[in-house]
Amino acid sequence: MSLKDEATPPGLLETAFLASIERAINQALRTDPASMERLAALSGHLVSLHLTLPPLAIYMLVVEDGIELYHASDAEADVSLHGSPVELAAQLFEWRTRGSAVGGPVRIRGNQQLLQSLLDIARDLRIDWGALFEPLLGGEMAQAVEHGGRQVLATGRDLLARLGQQLSNGLQRENGLLALRREVFEFNQDVDELRMDVDRLAMRIARLQSRDENPS
Amino acid sequence: MNDKTTDFGYQQVPLGEKARRVAGVFRSVAPKYDLMNDLMSLGVHRIWKRMTLELSGVRPGHVVLDLAGGTGDLAKKFSRLVGEKGHVVLADINEAMLQVGRDRMIDEGCGHNVRVTQVNAEALPFADNTFDCITIAFGLRNVTDKDKALASMLRVLKPGGRLLVLEFSKPVHEPLSKLYDAYSFSVLPALGQMVAGDAESYRYLAESIRMHPDQDTLKAKMENAGFMRCDYFNMTGGIVALHRGFKA
Repeated sequence: MSLKDEATPPGLLETAFLASIERAINQALRTDPASMERLAALSGHLVSLHLTLPPLAIYMLVVEDGIELYHASDAEADVSLHGSPVELAAQLFEWRTRGSAVGGPVRIRGNQQLLQSLLDIARDLRIDWGALFEPLLGGEMAQAVEHGGRQVLATGRDLLARLGQQLSNGLQRENGLLALRREVFEFNQDVDELRMDVDRLAMRIARLQSRDENPS
Repeated sequence: MNDKTTDFGYQQVPLGEKARRVAGVFRSVAPKYDLMNDLMSLGVHRIWKRMTLELSGVRPGHVVLDLAGGTGDLAKKFSRLVGEKGHVVLADINEAMLQVGRDRMIDEGCGHNVRVTQVNAEALPFADNTFDCITIAFGLRNVTDKDKALASMLRVLKPGGRLLVLEFSKPVHEPLSKLYDAYSFSVLPALGQMVAGDAESYRYLAESIRMHPDQDTLKAKMENAGFMRCDYFNMTGGIVALHRGFKA
């Protein structure tokens, strides 16, 4: 604790927005007791998310009955993630297939096992849209919403994956951060050509040397 | 004599009388307190409290005093933030409010690290330098001797610890102020009558807000009590202000 604390509270709208997200996530979690139980086992852990664009920090505290979201925390996060929202989403969704999320544009520090567990819970979460909307819309409409919700989620995941891939390609093209396949191929061709030139030159030197040693 | 009376809303009452009357008000509103808060503020009181939590700096292992904590909104959140190694004291002068708060803490699974205690904010029954953070949300205006209460809070805070006072204050824009007056003196008592069957208590609420020191006056009071680096943040146009001060 420090007398130097200069923190100011976030704005009313930001706070209300975060509160709404927290409420929505917790309501969704409540419709899937199995996921809630797995999450409860991780209660007390703090995850921090630092977005670069827009610059924003969000802290997620896992509690017995869901999660709590904050804009600030003096506590040290068990695991922290830094990156742009799109890169973070794309990388996290492809966590398993990529093998490791470390080293890319997303930086992850701390307990990666905890992060993996949370991602597993998120991936296995089966939101009961029917239960969520039945009190508001009635049984039939709620079923339609449930069907639609699942489709939207699946589409969203695909879209996010494609968006991540496109962003990655864009970074390669615009910033030259990573070589494209074509560029690697051209580079290899240049190397081959240079190697052949060197071979030719070496052979020519050898021929000239042998002519000097054995003048006819 | 003036120096032996204090305000109870717009009335002047003997010093010893205010605590009894305030207790009467809160005894009356306790069962419907949370519902009324939601109705009166249209749910915004939850956002104000969230902003208080954001500034609390509370982390695992801390010891927190939630003064005038009533039904335990903040205490529940603090219970989770301090974790197993810390603890929270939910304190209020009113036993009816505490009863609701204690039941809620048990229902919410916070019983393991929250202690419920009936205290008078003017004479806190805790050792010096006990707490990392003290909050008093919508409670200070009901305290008879605010200077004495602030001094008492300073005593029990640890060096470096912080006090957060969340309280109704003075709107900073004139049109908002007029609208707020109309709402406070017409809508609030009517709402109180309709939901809690008690218009008088909610009239007191509106009057006590007007009698409470404005932002700068309260900041000066905190500085006079010995708090360092005092500042305040207006919320919803100054209808509510969050004051913060540290113990050196």
